Amino acid sequence: MPEPAAIEVQELTRDFRGGVRALDGVSFTVERGEIFGYLGRNGAGKSTTVRILTTLLRPTSGSATVGGHDVVADAAAVRRVFGAALQEAALDELMTGREHLAMAGRLVGLGKSGAAERAAELLESFGLKAAGDRIAAGYSGGMRRRLDVAMAMVRRPEVLFLDEPTTGLDPQGRRAVWELVRDLRDSGSTVFLTTQYLAEADALSSRVAVVHEGRIAAIGTAQDLKDRLGTTAIRVLVAAGVTDRVAAAVDPNPVTATADGWVEIGVPGGESAVPGVMARLAGAGVAIERLQVEPPSLEDVFVSLTGTEIETADVPARDVNVTAVRRSVGAKTGPVQ
Amino acid sequence: MSPLGQVRLLLFRSLREGVRNPVLAYALPVIIPVAVLVLVAKTLYRVTDLPGFPTGNYAEWMTPAIIMLTAMTGVGYAATSLVIDIQSGFLDRLRLLDVRPSALLWSRVLFDVARVVPAGFVLLAVGLLLGTDVREGPLGILLLFALLILWAVAYGGLYFVVALTTRNPQAPLALAPLFLPLQFLSTQFVPSSLLPGWVRTVSAWNPFTYMVDAARALTTGPLTLGPVAKAVAVAVGMMLVTQTASRRAYLKAVEGD
Repeated sequence: MPEPAAIEVQELTRDFRGGVRALDGVSFTVERGEIFGYLGRNGAGKSTTVRILTTLLRPTSGSATVGGHDVVADAAAVRRVFGAALQEAALDELMTGREHLAMAGRLVGLGKSGAAERAAELLESFGLKAAGDRIAAGYSGGMRRRLDVAMAMVRRPEVLFLDEPTTGLDPQGRRAVWELVRDLRDSGSTVFLTTQYLAEADALSSRVAVVHEGRIAAIGTAQDLKDRLGTTAIRVLVAAGVTDRVAAAVDPNPVTATADGWVEIGVPGGESAVPGVMARLAGAGVAIERLQVEPPSLEDVFVSLTGTEIETADVPARDVNVTAVRRSVGAKTGPVQ
Repeated sequence: MSPLGQVRLLLFRSLREGVRNPVLAYALPVIIPVAVLVLVAKTLYRVTDLPGFPTGNYAEWMTPAIIMLTAMTGVGYAATSLVIDIQSGFLDRLRLLDVRPSALLWSRVLFDVARVVPAGFVLLAVGLLLGTDVREGPLGILLLFALLILWAVAYGGLYFVVALTTRNPQAPLALAPLFLPLQFLSTQFVPSSLLPGWVRTVSAWNPFTYMVDAARALTTGPLTLGPVAKAVAVAVGMMLVTQTASRRAYLKAVEGD
């Protein structure tokens, strides 16, 4: 029997009270060892999917397996194969990094010394050794995120869920999380990563699913999506007055001329269309002085699928609460006993 | 990890956090009852001159009642912490680590107990300093603290129900002043025979009356089965109601939408 896929989702739906349908028949498969990017705007259904796959929420209909175990019928077995860092770093403000990891270790069945060892190991590999004995209230956003992911790794998971791991982080923190995800991929883990940042999905994922209004709008490798749904802009510098010949040669692709003699030709798909266009221009006797090619971006794909620009600036409301809690416990940054 | 091991681990977590927030966690449950006991004993001591008052030392009359009062000033912190765990997502994290709902709830309930019992001892000590004569001895004290724990779990359940139903960590604060009317509408300050008629009627429906009467029987005496049995029945009944409701509210809060 072949090994089951890391994640298998079939016709998943979830309705919330008041008739809101957060997921509307989502299906996809994530293979072992893959980084699967789940891209969508706020409210697209990303977190609902993750909460169902991590057994925290029951689906209204449809089915899903993680590591071959059904998330409803066999939730306990599912919990043993994955680790998850859910949206917002879920930490206890009054506990130190080391205590977080040691407690998680005890709960997954490591003995007292085993849990302490694992905690020290994870603090080291997540760059939190120096901060390990300070309470979480004094951690920066990036440190919180790293501790959260470290907690997800206590059990050495086969599948790792990261729900918007970089939302709310500064560029430095974001880079650190990216490196972390790449390390995980290199060590053979399967990673399910939700994000609302196109660049992130593009940079990290082997395959991307674009989710929009509770449905999968498209799925494939980033290159594949760009080839299928993006537009390549070919810009040529030509002699004055030949714009019409260019347009005739590449018809029906749209052509726009700019004042400085450049003509831009929009071609659906990826850069593979470039040689064909060049051949047609040569056939029409158009002499090209210079050439620029702008390949499609995932941004184009997203816009063509959803008809909207994706959000780029985002301040999660929960951050405000965390600040309030920190204040109310009188955040200490020094070591505590 | 066994459910009992989970309770122990999570209770230890709460106790350790209490140490990092000691005034709210451990001092507050003591301050109000000590203030009430000392002030009342020093200002209202002539109440005992009233005809029919059973003792000449007002501090002795008040001490057992105030020990039971620590259950009402000592609970609540745990319910608020639980809602903060829900809001921060930490509770989801614990659920992913296979922590049972009962372990989550009972570790919190036991933390309330861990705040109340030492407070009860402090009040007993203050009472002794003010001349309270504990005629029923160590066995009575032991039973008194058993009843105190029952009462803390029963009364603390109210805080959990409110916290988990509203899912607002501040909401339980609104319950804090409830101990005031419950005090005055009970036999805490004067015996039932000296209460105005309508208050006497109300006090018979006030569970705190039963705790106060039993606490007196168990310490200053005389020890009879009646008041103790009634108090245990009232506390256990109330505990079943509040803890069942709190469990339901908890399951709804974490598994609903």
